[in-house]
Amino acid sequence: MTKTSINRRKFVKGISAAGGYTIAAPYVKTAYSAGKLSLGIWSHWIPGADNVLENILVSWGEKNGVEVKVDFITSIGNKLLLTAQAESRAKTGHDVFSMGVWMTSMFKNKLEPLDDVVEDIIAKHGPLLDSAKYYAHLDGHWRSAPAPTGSFFDSMVSRIDLFKEHAGIDLQTLFPANNKRDANRINDWNWESFLIAAEKLYNAGKPFGGTIAATPDSRWLAALFTSYGAELVNKDGEITVDSDEVRQVLEFMSKLTQFMPDSVYAWDDSSNNRWLISGEGSAIFNPASAWAVAKRDNPEIAKKLWHHDVPRGPKGRYRPDNSQFWGLWDFAENKSAAKDLLRYIAERHVVDACVKASKGYDIPLIISHFNNNKTWVEASPPDGVLYNYPMIGDEKPVAVAHPAPPEIASQISTNYVIANLTARVTAKGQSFKKAISWAENELEGIMR
Amino acid sequence: MLITALKTNKEIAEMATNPWLIKQGITFEHFNYLFTKTPFLTFFKNTIIVTISVVIITMIISVLAAYSLSRLKFWGSGVLATGIFLTYLVPETLLFIPLFKIVGWLGLLNSYWVLVLVYPTLSVPFCTWLMIGYFSSIPKEIDEAALIDGANHMQMLLKVFIPVAMPGLIAATIFAFTVSWAGFLYPLAFIYSESEMVLTVGTVTTLIKGDVFHWGGLMAGALLAAAPPVIIYAFLMDYYIAGLTSGATKG
Amino acid sequence: MKNNALYIWLRQKPRIAFFMCLPLILMVLCLIIYPFIYSIFLSMLNKAETKFVGIGNYLFLFKRETFWLVVQQSIFFALVAVFFKALIGFIAAHSINAIPSKGQRKWRGMLLIPWVIPPALSTLGWWWLFEPTYSALNWFLKEISLPAIPWLSETFWARFSIILVNIWVGAPFFLIMYLAALKSIPEDLYEAASIDGANYRQKLYYITLPMMKNIISITILFSIIVTFANFDIVRVLTRGGPIDTTHLFATYAFRVGIESGDIPLGASVSLFMFPILAILAFIILRSVRKRALEV
Repeated sequence: MTKTSINRRKFVKGISAAGGYTIAAPYVKTAYSAGKLSLGIWSHWIPGADNVLENILVSWGEKNGVEVKVDFITSIGNKLLLTAQAESRAKTGHDVFSMGVWMTSMFKNKLEPLDDVVEDIIAKHGPLLDSAKYYAHLDGHWRSAPAPTGSFFDSMVSRIDLFKEHAGIDLQTLFPANNKRDANRINDWNWESFLIAAEKLYNAGKPFGGTIAATPDSRWLAALFTSYGAELVNKDGEITVDSDEVRQVLEFMSKLTQFMPDSVYAWDDSSNNRWLISGEGSAIFNPASAWAVAKRDNPEIAKKLWHHDVPRGPKGRYRPDNSQFWGLWDFAENKSAAKDLLRYIAERHVVDACVKASKGYDIPLIISHFNNNKTWVEASPPDGVLYNYPMIGDEKPVAVAHPAPPEIASQISTNYVIANLTARVTAKGQSFKKAISWAENELEGIMR
Repeated sequence: MLITALKTNKEIAEMATNPWLIKQGITFEHFNYLFTKTPFLTFFKNTIIVTISVVIITMIISVLAAYSLSRLKFWGSGVLATGIFLTYLVPETLLFIPLFKIVGWLGLLNSYWVLVLVYPTLSVPFCTWLMIGYFSSIPKEIDEAALIDGANHMQMLLKVFIPVAMPGLIAATIFAFTVSWAGFLYPLAFIYSESEMVLTVGTVTTLIKGDVFHWGGLMAGALLAAAPPVIIYAFLMDYYIAGLTSGATKG
Repeated sequence: MKNNALYIWLRQKPRIAFFMCLPLILMVLCLIIYPFIYSIFLSMLNKAETKFVGIGNYLFLFKRETFWLVVQQSIFFALVAVFFKALIGFIAAHSINAIPSKGQRKWRGMLLIPWVIPPALSTLGWWWLFEPTYSALNWFLKEISLPAIPWLSETFWARFSIILVNIWVGAPFFLIMYLAALKSIPEDLYEAASIDGANYRQKLYYITLPMMKNIISITILFSIIVTFANFDIVRVLTRGGPIDTTHLFATYAFRVGIESGDIPLGASVSLFMFPILAILAFIILRSVRKRALEV
């Protein structure tokens, strides 16, 4: 068995060396894709989503004569990351492994370059989101390919009733569940006007809440920084945290935090969901999962939720983004089959099935796959709750600490420098100067 | 915990209700969910296998070593005794990364036998020390008498030392049991299949889904996971204390 | 006694002795010493693990504000937590020892519960009490019209919370160790003291404490090690926050090494624990030995 697979690999290698690669044939290389393939895949929050994906993968395997085995691994307690560390060091384990957000840059030297796969995908389906490219296209090579599950945006999730009653904003007309939005009115939906709304909601006892703690959900802050043009490190890798833009955004945050609950400094990724579902809060940044859980645990609240665009800053409207990829370990046994599978999962019908199974939580990374997806249009109650969850306005998805080089951005992100910098000013009451000089010191450490 | 385990999801989600009381009726849905929808019983079985193996291995290694170190002084035994203690100072958070390599080389990644292999590194140093302490306190006259009767070292260990040092042995067993029952980091790092998972990590990973919590299930799981050690303790502690009070180790 | 022929015979059995230690030696070599040396090697590589940088990572750590914060916090955390664990354990052991043996069983069982529940799970229970939105403790405070306490979001309370949970988990360990020690103090010593007219406090000072000295120091030593290297509690409750003010060595090493993918630096942070603990162990063990020789 192993012997034949080695022969096959050599054969495939021979073909691509001989220029077979430029044919850019899609995934239909059935004859070569035999053998076994094991996948270590991020386990989905949404019940049932894992089964749908597993069925897709296994039936692909049956059609192509590949024995596909899928292990779903949770990212709770960094389990996915730990397992990846274990496998990359032990040089054994799965062939294909989930690479969430920064994992591609962490493991880039241990992953098989996937230029051929991703270029085929782009040739067939069109380009990927810029933010996605930023995570996975490193040192001039695609190190991982788009995953069909697990990518999401943090849209705003707000209470329709509370915004209407206390802030005088009708979210359903401002961000309607159809394509007739009024660009001018949305233009006024910016951080300054949001501040006024936040104050009113706070006074009504139902504030806005956003995590300012060392947890991935604090990426809404990073998007806020980007929308003010506040860069901690610029695209050339120079520390630029000591800037007017950073001071401006810190100034803004000292105002906004007055109208936020103090507990945001201790929130983890699920705190904001629970807070919204409990009925205490009026707005959070989150993917579709808060609404999905509310639907199960507190349907009265779920009916009053609305997903919509984030406020605009002086330098644009940026929505926090979290992209997932699948990488191929360099020690993988069956690379040709794995590459075929990676091409297959970028197909439209696979992505649509995954979006549906995740109840609209997952977003595709390939731009054309956003079009005409019924899941977001039909989600209910209330009708159209997810219509604006895939970005349809002037928003851009952005990674934490963009545009710093990805290796540095990943360190800024995983050391939660932005949340810490903000909390130093807003919770600890440090002067801008002191907090910024702390950040400079921290960034120097990160760039070593 | 017990209370949350018996609550409905809906009541848990509502802020206004008293978290210490159950108003909307007791539910066993969380226990039911654990047993039917999650591989909880598999976790349980795996944990028991791992724990029993670890306790046995620990006891064999540490009793042999403790006997040898406390009675049969040999070249380097003093250094070894101190060395064993020092190994206790090496934190597991440091060891688990290099262990990836060893585990991978042995082909034990994602198998609960890896825990049987690595847990003793946490339990043996302490148990050995504990047993050295107990063995040293056994009066030398006892083993001399046994040797005169023609007993060899094995017989002496089994017939004299182990019965006399029973409380120490029980204390060490309890310790080894706790270590392997409660271990978290190693299973988190080394095991990913549900079929190989143990209770601690399994409960947490199957019941917390990102920002979705199964509070009730989590508490129910924690309760069930805590029950066996509590029972075993209550049982063993009596022997432990009884052994102590019988006066075998006085002096 | 030392010149007894049998004793000499015993001493001449190094081979059997070595053989009996062999499993231990093998385990320690393969699963502790080798990985330990390997991590020392790892800690001397650059981030991508492609270049040898010697003690570069350590020098680098010395310049980091956050690292020194972690050092201070770990020491503070270990000292405070162990002090209270020892105190509470001592008091509890005394009280239990004082009640008649029939009732003891029940109390012993109950007081041991915190120690036997896997900390990773019991901490989740605590988290439910502290957690920002549903905090069951705050609900209680609200009922008796007291202001809510920001258990995990303010530095002081966050430190308070993790120390409290650590004491809750660790005190029973002291309890059993002390209880065993108390039971092994011969009754007649107390009787003799009573005849001499000693009061309770004098008995405590002149009999109980000196008799328990060794067990107290060893238990404290072990507890310091475990507390110093604590991971679960901080990880579940605060993940090092707010603003890194509850990070300990282990959690910080995890943040740096695993979450941020800088394994060599994470290994350096972890290794830093070793000399601190080794010095402490040396001091405590030496005094124990000395006393053991005196006895």
